[in-house]
Parts: sequence; structure tokens; C-alpha cells
Amino acid sequence: MSKKITVGPVGYMPQSAPSMGVELSPKGQALLYGNIVTEEEAMRDAAKALLTMANPTIFPGPQVLWDWKDDVAEKSAAILDLAAEIPNCRIIPMPDYRPKYPKIDAEAEINPNHPNLTILHNKIKAAIFIGVHCHYANLSLRMIRAGTDCYTIAMCAFMGHEEAMASIRDVHAEDVLRFKDILVQVRNELGIEWTAKMPPENPSLPKEDWGTLTPADYGEYRSLLMSKKGEHIADVE
Amino acid sequence: MSLRYMIPVSKFKKYLPKDYVELVDYGPFGKDYSDVGVKNMGTYKELVEEHPMCSGCWMAYYIKIIFASLPNPEDTVTIGTAGCGRLAISQAAVPFIYGNYGDQNAMASGITRAFRLRFPDRHKDVITIAGDGGMMDIGFSMTMHAWFRRERFTTIMLDNEVYGNTGGQESGMSMEGAILKMSPTGKKFGKMPAMQLAITAGCVYVVKMSPTNINKASKAIRRAIFAARTLGPTFIHAYTSCNIEYSIPTNDVFRDAKEMEKGRFAFEEYMTPEAKELFAQIESKNKREVS
Amino acid sequence: MSLNKTLVDMDYLLKEAPREKHFITGAQAMAEAVKRASVDMAIAYPITPQSEVMHLVGDIFAQGHIKEYYRAEEELGTMSAIAGAARAGVRLFTATSGPGLLRGLEAIVSWPGHRVPCVLGVLTRVVNAPLSIQPDNIEMAYLLHSGIVLLHAENQQDTFDMTLAAFAITEKVDVYIPVAVATEGFFVTHAKGYVDMTSEELAFNEPDPYAAPVPAMDNEVPPARIQRDAPVQKSNFMSYLIHSVWQQEIWDSNKRAMKYIYQYLGGPIEVQNPEADVFVLASGCAAAQAREAHRYAQEEGLSVGFIKVKAIRPFPKEEIRTALKNATTVIIPEHNIIGWLAAEVKAAIPNSGIVVDGPRVYGGMTLPVELIMEQVYMALGMKSETLQA
Repeated sequence: MSKKITVGPVGYMPQSAPSMGVELSPKGQALLYGNIVTEEEAMRDAAKALLTMANPTIFPGPQVLWDWKDDVAEKSAAILDLAAEIPNCRIIPMPDYRPKYPKIDAEAEINPNHPNLTILHNKIKAAIFIGVHCHYANLSLRMIRAGTDCYTIAMCAFMGHEEAMASIRDVHAEDVLRFKDILVQVRNELGIEWTAKMPPENPSLPKEDWGTLTPADYGEYRSLLMSKKGEHIADVE
Repeated sequence: MSLRYMIPVSKFKKYLPKDYVELVDYGPFGKDYSDVGVKNMGTYKELVEEHPMCSGCWMAYYIKIIFASLPNPEDTVTIGTAGCGRLAISQAAVPFIYGNYGDQNAMASGITRAFRLRFPDRHKDVITIAGDGGMMDIGFSMTMHAWFRRERFTTIMLDNEVYGNTGGQESGMSMEGAILKMSPTGKKFGKMPAMQLAITAGCVYVVKMSPTNINKASKAIRRAIFAARTLGPTFIHAYTSCNIEYSIPTNDVFRDAKEMEKGRFAFEEYMTPEAKELFAQIESKNKREVS
Repeated sequence: MSLNKTLVDMDYLLKEAPREKHFITGAQAMAEAVKRASVDMAIAYPITPQSEVMHLVGDIFAQGHIKEYYRAEEELGTMSAIAGAARAGVRLFTATSGPGLLRGLEAIVSWPGHRVPCVLGVLTRVVNAPLSIQPDNIEMAYLLHSGIVLLHAENQQDTFDMTLAAFAITEKVDVYIPVAVATEGFFVTHAKGYVDMTSEELAFNEPDPYAAPVPAMDNEVPPARIQRDAPVQKSNFMSYLIHSVWQQEIWDSNKRAMKYIYQYLGGPIEVQNPEADVFVLASGCAAAQAREAHRYAQEEGLSVGFIKVKAIRPFPKEEIRTALKNATTVIIPEHNIIGWLAAEVKAAIPNSGIVVDGPRVYGGMTLPVELIMEQVYMALGMKSETLQA
């Protein structure tokens, strides 16, 4: 199989995958390196990338981070089940799409206007995009292919993404779990030993004992959160 | 239930960046204005915090007041245009739409009508926030016609009497005689009578003010939003100085705003009898509602 | 007012639903399509020269087929209000003409980048000075580089079918940019033709504002912190690449529309007599005259091919290149002075020397079939004097 879309960096001014002739896969099929393949084949290659490349990361987007409709909780739970099975996986969310002022915390979040910053800062070599609106996912995936050597996997609720190395379409909770099963299978085939473990929580969240937290513990964020006069913040979480 | 879209999936909460978690736990969404309004600024997670406005910017201060005054931030959309204001507005935790130059009131006409189609039983507050250039020059026709058509949304003009973001050119709201870029020999005509235009065009509630008192500023904003829900267009003309282009030392920005309050931005409030009745109802129902 | 309609998908509506023949104008055909498209909102402006389309849409609003309708202040206000309403996730329609299109152009060319799905009727008129209200499609040239999907209707039937298809194409998750349906003012909009129409009891499924590549701005879908679409570049905290890939995304979306043009309209071109050496290639109303030329040629026993271009954006480069592979001459009649279609075809084929630039008519002139036949005779060596195109 010749690879139409390869792991980057492809250069300063990337050519878009559709302009290189890549077309979205029909229902029931997937894209792997720009070619239409079975879902199983794409999932196996994606699983292998997540298991063998450094710092595998899941980038969940707004559609799975917020509980805005009934089927989200189930899908989100499935994503976390998947994350637990990927050795040393991290979760770095894309909580919104605005150009954020003054800058993002590259360890805590990824932003579609410069997704390469988070990838490069954390030396991420394989990543999943899920729950990101298609327009922003396409922009991000293209910029990542342009400037990083990250293997990208798109798990899209709609039609998939030409720019990703592996693109799975019409993804719902059960498809995430199916991918998890395939990943475990590939992991066993590769002889990688791993006990399911949840990824570490967001590094921007304070590690202090909540019971004794004071505004001073918020350091540079102090101005963003102040207790009321005489109030002691104790009921976080 | 609209609040759902800002509540994280519980299992994902610990993977969210801190400022988003705080926005939900300590933000104003779904809470009472008396706890999370202008009077309590600094004690809760505000909707607009970090922004790239200039030091001492009176507009940035007023924008913070606007967001702290929203009666229903979880059901509010703001619309703006080119200018300084959008730099801060676009960082707020409220959806913001930016179209083309000066088109904010036309966009708002479209979106408020669409909201009323999709959510006939609910209020979705639409507020256009733009500068004097965006409202009274390039967007003049769209501003005026939205009012003539009685479109039910709130228009807030941030009047700094100059094109601040593009480097200090004369605007229709600059003072007669002002020497600015594009008026090298001084402006040849006076400020456009925005308040009178709004009244003539059919706004049901109109305020002109220099927002030196946050409670008073907030009250006007909330009244404008409440009246726009059912009665018709509302307009606030606020003085938000440009300390850069008018060379106002940072320390004197507040003093300048106070002086304006005694002069051409003396507080004026216009309301139709229907608006007056509405405010009486709202404000008697909850004494704390509008202070 | 609520009318009881059966909602169906676009494949059924366009390809399977029973049809009845009507004799109506192009403007009526466009309005009839709008009637069957479950349109939420239409915004009108009556600049001269408007066609009747937006009056008729006003009538069908009054009859309850559309939920909201108003006359805006002018085209920039109209097109901006469309952009605003689109953010709230409703289905939208407007139409304009010539100078009105240019007046609204600032907003129109920003629709694709803002991911505004809507259908725009373009009923072409003269835009040059001195003012005229006659047909001339030069205004379409201004849309070619906007990112918008642009279809060109030959007649009243096309106007009906393309307008309906446009509503389905514009809302596809992988497209989600506006679709313009253009046709010639007067020649099509004011003239009657036969149109096979579906029953008005059938209407296109309602839109799903959440099946979209961007979040609706309705306070119902995350993220709460969202802007659409303030400048993405602010020198100190942004990259310039974002704007480049954004532009690419618009043109990719335009390209992705092609598969739906195949699905709903049977493809971007129609070819008759593909074995011919000499072709007449045209779009819109000129295609009707080119079709006539093809018929004349057949009657005279001459082998002349005919190609009608239905999609101007995305432009069917591959299809045209293949269709003209063995052609020795391609005559391109147009209703404008600049010959934008000829330029597009020349850029699409390796041997642009085979293109005959014209005949062209403009400023309201009609396009007699004889003018095209002159070129056919010359191409076939039956006539030798040079005719100015």
C-alpha cells in the first residue's frame, strides 16, 4: 500500500490531503495513510502506533468533555476505558477553539490555532482526536502533519478526516470500546505487559490538600480565583 | 436545560484545565445575580479575565462590567466587529460572533429571529457590542435599520470618540475640532446624536452614560437586556475613553471619566412607558435584582 | 401557520418522488424549490434589478411554508443577517442579482470561511456602468474565487432541481459552505418553461444544527467559550499557519461537494455525442442555445458534441479534460464579455489552443443559435471567413 498521507513533518506550507486526492471513506470503512481500508486494519495500525510510539495522548474535544446531550457520558467513559489500556497514556483536552490570550499551558491543553505547540512540548508521537468539531479537527490535523512527527488518529462522529494517518468514521461509544479491544489484542501480540491504569489528571489542577487550600496556593492564578471575605474554600470536588 | 453544555462529564472533570473547572464551580452560570454580579466582582470566577487591552483601558473595564451584569450568561450571545473591544470580548466565556466590518446589528437581527424560531419559549439574550466607528460610521445603516425594524436585542456602543484600534483616526463620534489622523486640521462637524437617533428609530430604552459607578452601569445594562427580550430594541451609549489616542495618563483615566460625566456624557435615561412598567415589575419582584 | 407535510430525504425528493408537469417561470421554479425545502428563514431585499424570486418567497412565507421572512435594509444587511442566523443553526435562503450581489459581496465572500450553510439564488444581470437591468452573467466571475459552491442552471427545470439539491449539499458535514444557484435573469427568471415538480406536500427533512463541523452559537452545544470567527491571528499569541490551513479547508470543502453533485444532479457535466471532434461547451442559459446548436447540427447531419457544465465550483476539471480528450475544437458561447468559462476550460485542458473564445453576447443581447453555428461551420471547414466573437 502506498502511503498518500504520512507522518510529518511535511513542511512549512502543507498541501491539504483532499487536494492530494484523498477522499473520505464510505460508511463502514476507514482511512489509513489516505487509503480506504477496513476499520479493523486502520484500528490495528493505530493501536500499534499508540503502543509503540512515545507519549501516546488522547485529545478529547468539547463534544465529549461536556455533558451536553444524553449519549456523551457513555462515550466519554469508553474513552477513559481506552486510555487506561494504553501504556503511559495522557489525556490533554481541547476545551475550546478560541485563540487564547495570553497563551496556552501546553501541558494542560491543546488549541486548534497552534496544536503543534502541545505536541512538540510534550514530545507526543501518537495521538487520538475525538470529540473535536470537524472543522477544527481538520485544521489541527493538518498543522500537526505540517510541523511535527506525530502519528494522528481521528475518531470522528461524522465522516472522518483525510489529514489523519488513521481515520475512523461514525464513532460512538461502542466503536471506542471495539478499538480498545483491538488495542488490547495488539498489545498482547506485541508482548507488552500493562495493567489498566487511568492517566494522570490535568497537571494544571492544584495538588494541594483541598481542605487547607487558600487563595495563596493559586500562585499566578490567584487573581482568577479569590475567596469571599472570611470564607475558607473547602468544598472543591 | 441550557446549563448542560457547560457542565463537564464528571469522569472528565479531572482532565480539564483548571480555569475551565473553576468556571463551572465558581463561575456565574445559573447563579443569582446578587451573588455573582458586579458588586461581587473579584470574589467569583468572572466571564472575562485575561485580555490583551492596553493598560488603563476604560473600555476593558466597562466590558468586564457588561459581562458581570448579564442576567443569564448561559443563554447569551455577544456580537461584535473590528475594533479594540473584540480583543477582550472574544476571551469571555460567552459565545462571541465576529462577522465583517460594522455588520453586528444585521447579524443580530438574523440570530435573534432564528433563536425565536428554535426556542420560542425561552429567552436567548443577544447583545451587540461595538465601537463608535462600527456602530455609527461603517455599520450605521445596519444599526439604524435594526432599530427601525424593532429587532429585539441590545446594542451597546463603546464610544471612545476615535478609531483606536487602527491608530487614532477621526470617527463620526469624535468632537468637533478634534485633531486626529484623517482630520489633520480638526474635525469639521460635531458628534453624531446617537441617543436621539436611537430614540427616533424606536429604541424602547436608551441610556447615555460615563460608567463611573458600576452599580449604575450594571443597572442600565440589565434593564437594556430585560427590555430587549419582549419590548424592542435597546441602546446604551457608553463613554469608554481611549487613553492611548487621547493621551490620558493611566492614573487619570477615572478622573477623565468623571469629568465626562459632568459634561457631554452626563447620565441620560430614556424609556417608553411599557419599559418603565416592565422595570417596575422586575425590580419590585426582587429588590436585589437591580440595585 | 403549520402545514402538514411529509418530510423526506433529498434522494427521494429529487429522484423518486412522483412529479407533475407545470409551465412556470424560472423565478417561480426557484420559489417552488424553496417551498419544498423546509426553509426556516428567508431574507429579502428588492434592489433593482431583483427578480421575482424573493417576492414569491414572501408569498410562500405568508402561506406558511417558511417560518420567518423579512425585507432587510440592503444587501450587505441581508447577507450579514443570513450569516447571523446561520450561527443559530437554521436553514436559510436568499436571492439577489447583479449590483445587489456586488453590494452584498463582502458578506457573501466571508460565508465560506465562517462556515455558513445557506442557499443563494443568483439571477444574473448587468453589473457594469452604465446601469442596465438586462441579463449578463459577468457577476458570476466574482463568485469563482470566493470558496462558495456555484451551480449554473440552464432552464426552469434545472433551477428547480439545483435549488433543491443545494439545500442538501450546503448542510453536509464535510461541505458546510454556501451553495449558490445561478441562472440568467429574464431569459430564465421571467420566461416560462416546463418544470416537472414534486408535490408540495413533500418537503426536505429539517436541518440538524448539531450535525455540523462547527458548533452552533446557540448556547446548547459546547464549548461555552467560543468565538466564530474573530481574527485568529494576534501576533503575540497566534500562528499564521492557522489562516492558511483554514483557507485550504474551505477549498477542500468545496471539492468535497463534488460527490454530492454526482449524487443529486447526476454529475457536474452533461455530454452529448462524446465521439465528436467539434464540441460546443456552455453553462446556464448559453447551454440551452448550445443544445439547440447541437440539434441543428444533428439535423444537418453534422457531428457536433455538446457539453453542459452544471457545476462552476467545484469546477469539473477532470470530467472536462476527459470529455475533450480527442476534441479538435471546443466552442464556448457565453453571456458575458470576459469569457470566464472559456478561461476555466483553457486552464483545465492541456491543449487550450482548441478553445474558440465565443461567441459572446452581453449587456442584455440574446444569443442566437446561428452565431454558434457560424463557429461550428468554421470549425468543420465549411466556412472560412473570420467572424468576430
